[in-house]
Amino acid sequence: MIIGAKKTRSFWQHWWPYFVVILGALLVLGVAHDDGLYQTPILKIQSVKVISVEKQSDQFNNEDHQVEQKLAGVITNGANKGKRLKVENTYLKSQATTLGYHTGQKVFLTVHQNQRHFSATISNLKRDTALAFTVWLTVSLLLILMRFSGLMALTSVIVNGVLFWLAVSWNTHTQGGIVLVIFGGLAVVFAALTLLIVIGFNRQMLMTLLATIGGTALSVIVALTVFALTHERGVYYESMQYVTQLPRPLFLAETILGSLGAVMDESTDIIASLMALKTEKPDISAKQIFKSGRQIGGEIMGPLVNVLFFIFVAETLPLALLFLKNANSWGYTFNMTMSLGVVQSLISGIGIVLTIPLACGITSLMIGGHHSWERLRH
Amino acid sequence: MGTITALGLLLLICMVAVGGTQGLQAWISLIFNFGALFFAMVLMAFHLPPVLVTLVTGVIVLAMTIFLGGNDSNSTMIAFYASVAVLILLVLLIIPVEHWVQIQGFGQEDSEDLEGMSNILGISYLNVAIATAILSTLGAIAEAAIAIAAGLAEILEQHPKITLKNLQGAGFKVGSQIIGTTFNTLFFGFFGGFLALFIWFAGVHYSIGEILNDKILVGEVLMVLFSMMSVIATIPLTTWAMVASERSARKKFMK
Repeated sequence: MIIGAKKTRSFWQHWWPYFVVILGALLVLGVAHDDGLYQTPILKIQSVKVISVEKQSDQFNNEDHQVEQKLAGVITNGANKGKRLKVENTYLKSQATTLGYHTGQKVFLTVHQNQRHFSATISNLKRDTALAFTVWLTVSLLLILMRFSGLMALTSVIVNGVLFWLAVSWNTHTQGGIVLVIFGGLAVVFAALTLLIVIGFNRQMLMTLLATIGGTALSVIVALTVFALTHERGVYYESMQYVTQLPRPLFLAETILGSLGAVMDESTDIIASLMALKTEKPDISAKQIFKSGRQIGGEIMGPLVNVLFFIFVAETLPLALLFLKNANSWGYTFNMTMSLGVVQSLISGIGIVLTIPLACGITSLMIGGHHSWERLRH
Repeated sequence: MGTITALGLLLLICMVAVGGTQGLQAWISLIFNFGALFFAMVLMAFHLPPVLVTLVTGVIVLAMTIFLGGNDSNSTMIAFYASVAVLILLVLLIIPVEHWVQIQGFGQEDSEDLEGMSNILGISYLNVAIATAILSTLGAIAEAAIAIAAGLAEILEQHPKITLKNLQGAGFKVGSQIIGTTFNTLFFGFFGGFLALFIWFAGVHYSIGEILNDKILVGEVLMVLFSMMSVIATIPLTTWAMVASERSARKKFMK
């Protein structure tokens, strides 16, 4: 009996990621057939006919092709389920603001119903299946390769996602008046929860949390000081996208959140490596710990700043290209599309660098022993 | 002095103060990467194929970030090889997914930015979307590869006689300790940057169905997922590369 139970346990211990993967695959399959859950009518495109292709040009000598297509398909949900329908769609080949559709795709319809006549236009493409598939692929890779630590990483992202959404709703309820308080305060909660999930509650986690909060706070203080000294020249808040409330505090909140993850990453990397080093070599001195930490930090700070740089700046590419193709100068294009991302990267970068001495100092003080520190001072 | 110049100089001072020569290199790599990104954009505006431009830019950026970031030549070389392998795998994934999901270009939420703009562009925005997704993951790939390789090199330096099996275990252990926080770097980096969009969603009361099919949001989430997958793939690839290199080094030593 006992041997049997042990066998079952180790069986589960070994195979659970694969069960999650199979379960997830079934869910993705479910999402591919979830049309009934939507109130908006969905059309499954069965055939596409190109009616005309016309060359277009604008005052900047850009050239494009306008394509008119006729899509025939069948409605897959709601009251009109099973009804066959033909829809016309016009798009530019560059597909920046309009889309061309293919056979097999599902689209949402806006129905225009007169007394007898039933017609519709396409409002959006159904993307939930592709989204679910990519989520499934990521989770599968994570669980199979990283197993338990992968599960913990996933949990922390989900917990943070839920908290993030709660904070956003709270911000909406307060009309964005205290956006900095909400997201600044939540940054601390985010950090504590994430580290608790990823590391667990121990001395290492507390040290990392301290370094994270300290580093993020330092970067914000430095940023505000520089803003005050330079009168925010070259910071174009009007170029912020999707703004529905006062842009300046919103920008600061975005910067705090954006750099929080990286600062946390950095302190965890440094402190985890130092703890591993201490385990491998218990008689290591505080000075050596500080030196090793600074070396590890020095090696990863550049790449880490670049992580955020590419996240913040790469996603401005489509808009920047639009500006350039509209005959704007490079300078104006930079100011209106990339400058805020660059400011965010630089502020985060300063936070990331200042975290290194902070994390090393905290670690060597906590695990290095006091004697060696006294020796260092003399 | 403009704010960007001031922040840039301050970053330089901090980096040099903390990392010395290495700090200077890190700063140069950041400036270089900005130049590379801007140059890639200009090339795309001149109608060079976006995906090809991105691939070349990607390999150069990875090389600059990794070689200017690390100082141990053996571990940085391994980090570079592993990161290029991850980049290639990622491109093979991104291209079909982007064709499937069609998140290219601008959504209805962007209409204010598009006012008065000509949308006759002549550049395939599907390829621009692919380029954007690849570019946004470059930093994450380089960082993860360096973190693993640097961690292993540190262990090798302190413990030159560690067995290869333990070295591989150590790689996965460092990987498992960084993966949680690296995920959060990506999560906060992306979602922090798009805080305004989420506030928009909440304010206009989008339904869940609308959010899950929204062009901008799906595009954004996909970029996070691509970055996460690249980090996941980097851990075993870098570890195996490191173990293989150490194995061949020891064989040579034995002879």
